[in-house]
Amino acid sequence: MMVRAGARRAWPSGVFQALLWLASGLLIAFIVLPLVRLAATSSPSSLISAAREAEVRDAVLLSLQDAAITAAIATVLGVPLAYLLAQRRIPAPGLVQAIVDLPLAVPHTVAGIALLFLLGRTGWVGAPAGHLGVSFYGSQWGIVAAMLFVSAPFAVNSARVAFEAIDPNLERAARSLGATRAHAFRRVTLPLGARGVLTGAVLVYARSIAEFGAVVIIAYYPVTAPVEIYNLFLRSGLAAASAASVLLLIVALATFLVLRTLASGSWLWIADRDPR
Amino acid sequence: MTLADDALLVQGVTTRAGSFELGPIDLDVASGRVLSILGPSGAGKTMLLETIAGFRAAVAGSIRLFGRELGQLPPESRAVGFVFQDAALFPHLSVRKNVGFALRARGERSHERVDELLGRFAITHLAERSPRSLSGGERQRVALARALAARPELLLLDEPLSALDRPTRDDLRTVLQELLCGLGIPAIHVTHDRDEALEIGDQVAVVVAGQVRQMASSDEIVAKPEDDTCARLLGWSELGVGSLDRDILVLGDLAVPTSDSLDRWNGPVSVFYRPEAVLLGADAVGSRGPTHFRATVDRVLPTTPLARVTLGGRPALTVLLLPRDLGRLGLRAGITVDVELPPDSLRVFRPTGA
Repeated sequence: MMVRAGARRAWPSGVFQALLWLASGLLIAFIVLPLVRLAATSSPSSLISAAREAEVRDAVLLSLQDAAITAAIATVLGVPLAYLLAQRRIPAPGLVQAIVDLPLAVPHTVAGIALLFLLGRTGWVGAPAGHLGVSFYGSQWGIVAAMLFVSAPFAVNSARVAFEAIDPNLERAARSLGATRAHAFRRVTLPLGARGVLTGAVLVYARSIAEFGAVVIIAYYPVTAPVEIYNLFLRSGLAAASAASVLLLIVALATFLVLRTLASGSWLWIADRDPR
Repeated sequence: MTLADDALLVQGVTTRAGSFELGPIDLDVASGRVLSILGPSGAGKTMLLETIAGFRAAVAGSIRLFGRELGQLPPESRAVGFVFQDAALFPHLSVRKNVGFALRARGERSHERVDELLGRFAITHLAERSPRSLSGGERQRVALARALAARPELLLLDEPLSALDRPTRDDLRTVLQELLCGLGIPAIHVTHDRDEALEIGDQVAVVVAGQVRQMASSDEIVAKPEDDTCARLLGWSELGVGSLDRDILVLGDLAVPTSDSLDRWNGPVSVFYRPEAVLLGADAVGSRGPTHFRATVDRVLPTTPLARVTLGGRPALTVLLLPRDLGRLGLRAGITVDVELPPDSLRVFRPTGA
């Protein structure tokens, strides 16, 4: 009997398509349904009363503020590293990239403890910083440090991917036209990679708002929104926590969507389109 | 040419990329002259341009431009213009801003200079367009205007026409030729296209496997390639392996005297001929010399601009001639014709490695 090597029975037409849609639909439903169920628990009046509670309001505002600061720091520090990695001008780029990705693999409570050892009152950085009057433990700086640790990979990787996609001859062309390395970066590479840089900043922002594990260890106070919701849940139960949760969800999603739209828009190049 | 005439003088330049080594390369180009570098893909042509432009560091040698040593200078201080194969226009800037980039980098704001260049390359109507919306030919015109805006002292062109379709290429080749003639600066033009090299370059250097195999004027290099690789790149066809006995070349049924004595080399040789120089039919009847023989026409292909006629026999060869000559000479498959190989259309080389 002849056996055709590698012969496979073909799937009936449409089965593959159906499986694609089924798997995709299940995952989307798994993400959306808990949020819809959460939103359904609260009424507009309960949201307004939650927003009127000073503790909840302050916690949400603190989260937004610290996430914005973190996004700015991660971008300022992450873009140069992303550029060096994209250009392979850094020694052992594979090792450096692995270090950048490390926070993605470290459990966030572990990250919090590690940061506490470094930035706490007796830590390598915390002790000298304390002499200068800067305290990380139980302060806004501690919250930003925790947020930065867990979200920095998003800023670096997003910018790196954007820089890698730029034709290296563009920067060479700029140099041959008399632009210094810095001028070529500012006028060519950065504008072309701006979308990736901004997307990274938005991801850092979103990830930072959501951060709980590392923040709760290094800076339980001042209370960020996720910590406040956890406190409400422990103190008063599921129902009490839900209104604050929905409030945080709405604020976080709204800012995320606005920023993401800005980051992906074509308005980025408009500044350079003026005729002269 | 004296050293003082050499606007660009490249001496012993060596560059490495992984296991590939380019050089040592010696070149000189005078002001107002164009050197075409011809070579196959992977020969190191682009690498040489990148080294001269400063995108790549040379491990040895010197590059002097009008007496200035360029070796240690960053690309922006070399005054070397570079036109890339794919134009490398800045996609986020308009055509006008691309052309004005060099002026802006220096803090100049000369709209007149940009307007003059846009006019010179007939791209004024494209000034506010995005490079993404341009055709290949338009992109290269913008790239040329952009490179010249920086007032370079040397222009490097890396296969600027190879990505274009034929009519655009022919059109731009003329633009390029006229431009380079009038610039008064040295230029190096890299290509793998023989016709382009011969048409644009005053001198042609053949680069193969990181080495300059031969450098000569366009006329001389076509007439007298120095080895089989140069011959192939310059349009010579291989006739086969013959043997050289003193000054007599024996190949199949042919035994012809040759001036290519190869320093008294006696033994097997690679024989090359110019396919367009072979005479057929009535054109070949006049001669009855040793390079005259009769052969059967195997195939006639009416290709343009030159038709191809393949002949059977020993040696078998392909002849290129004007399509109108097919009718005039009554050439068709199956007939036997007179064939004449003019002596200067034959070259013999020692086999590679001998």
